[in-house]
Amino acid sequence: MSDMLVFSIFFALLAVMNLYRLLKGPTAADRMVAGDSADVLICCAMVLYSVYSGRGIYLDIAIVSALLGIIDTMLVGRYLDNGRWLKK
Amino acid sequence: MILLRLLIGAIIVIGGIFALAGTIGILRMPDTYSRMQASTCISTMGAIGVLLGAALYAALILHAPGTTVKIVVIGLLILTVNPVGAHAIARGAYRNGVRPENGMKIDDLGRDFYE
Amino acid sequence: MQKNRLSSVLSTFVVCYVFWLLLTWNFSAQELVMGAVVCLCVAWFASRMFIHEDPTWLFKPQKLLALLAYIPLFLRELWKANVDMAKRCFGGCRSINPGIIKVPVEAKGLYAQAMLANSITLTPGTITMDIVSENGKDYYYIHWIDVTTTDRVKAGEIIKGSLEKGVRRIWE
Repeated sequence: MSDMLVFSIFFALLAVMNLYRLLKGPTAADRMVAGDSADVLICCAMVLYSVYSGRGIYLDIAIVSALLGIIDTMLVGRYLDNGRWLKK
Repeated sequence: MILLRLLIGAIIVIGGIFALAGTIGILRMPDTYSRMQASTCISTMGAIGVLLGAALYAALILHAPGTTVKIVVIGLLILTVNPVGAHAIARGAYRNGVRPENGMKIDDLGRDFYE
Repeated sequence: MQKNRLSSVLSTFVVCYVFWLLLTWNFSAQELVMGAVVCLCVAWFASRMFIHEDPTWLFKPQKLLALLAYIPLFLRELWKANVDMAKRCFGGCRSINPGIIKVPVEAKGLYAQAMLANSITLTPGTITMDIVSENGKDYYYIHWIDVTTTDRVKAGEIIKGSLEKGVRRIWE
């Protein structure tokens, strides 16, 4: 029964490992990619914990988290491209 | 019953291996675009494996159809909506002047829009 | 135009209502009526952003079958690309050979091009970065992690060969 809990903790640890790139990443795109994949991993961990504990509320939070993660990724992407080309 | 649990565990472990590969890729890859490619590994096969395992667990062991359908909807959302974000951020990074340090073998986008 | 508007509102309404039913999974009368009202409001305002071409394609059975047949093909490509990408991730920075390549695309129409671009982005190892159209032909700029050939047509065949056939079978 507790195997789902172990998997859930494993995915949360993977998300914590992504935070290293989020803190260190040299450019804004690196940080955003790391944040996006941490978001997907947290979503997976939440689904597994919901299945373990049998409470449905975590699934709703997982849906909201997946949708909001996409929206902020697109927001930062549109902000970065600026509508024009920048010379390096 | 125990065989079913082993099967579900195996599916989730396969997803976990791909998610671990993606995370290690994000930490180790040398330039921004390669890190983006590694992060795609997490949001496809890792998410598919985990959500498939969780959906099978909810359907066959917990006997909860509502939970199963919700998990499948989460999987569809991640699969349909995640590439849009990856595309936006890759284009934004390129337009903002991010280039790999080691150079690229061929760069058609720079060739067509800079010279 | 009026008939077109009505059918696009209807098809948006059907998609929204199916999504509502899947999310709530509760078939009491008040949930159904409330969902119908909310979905109708959303469909009325969002249909002109959601529907750009033929609004009734989802209700043709052969298109739906082609969409269902696309799923296992796509999953096979996804599995192959994932195994390859996982090897590269564990192998470190010597195993990559990146580049951005311009690839000609034969698929016509907004939906087909968006679906093909999303499929290419979703397979690990390739990201669609931009779409341009030059004198009647469309080109994708694709970031590819392992550039094995710099010939653009051959590269396109390697990257999107079977995916493009499936997509064209759905939308044409």
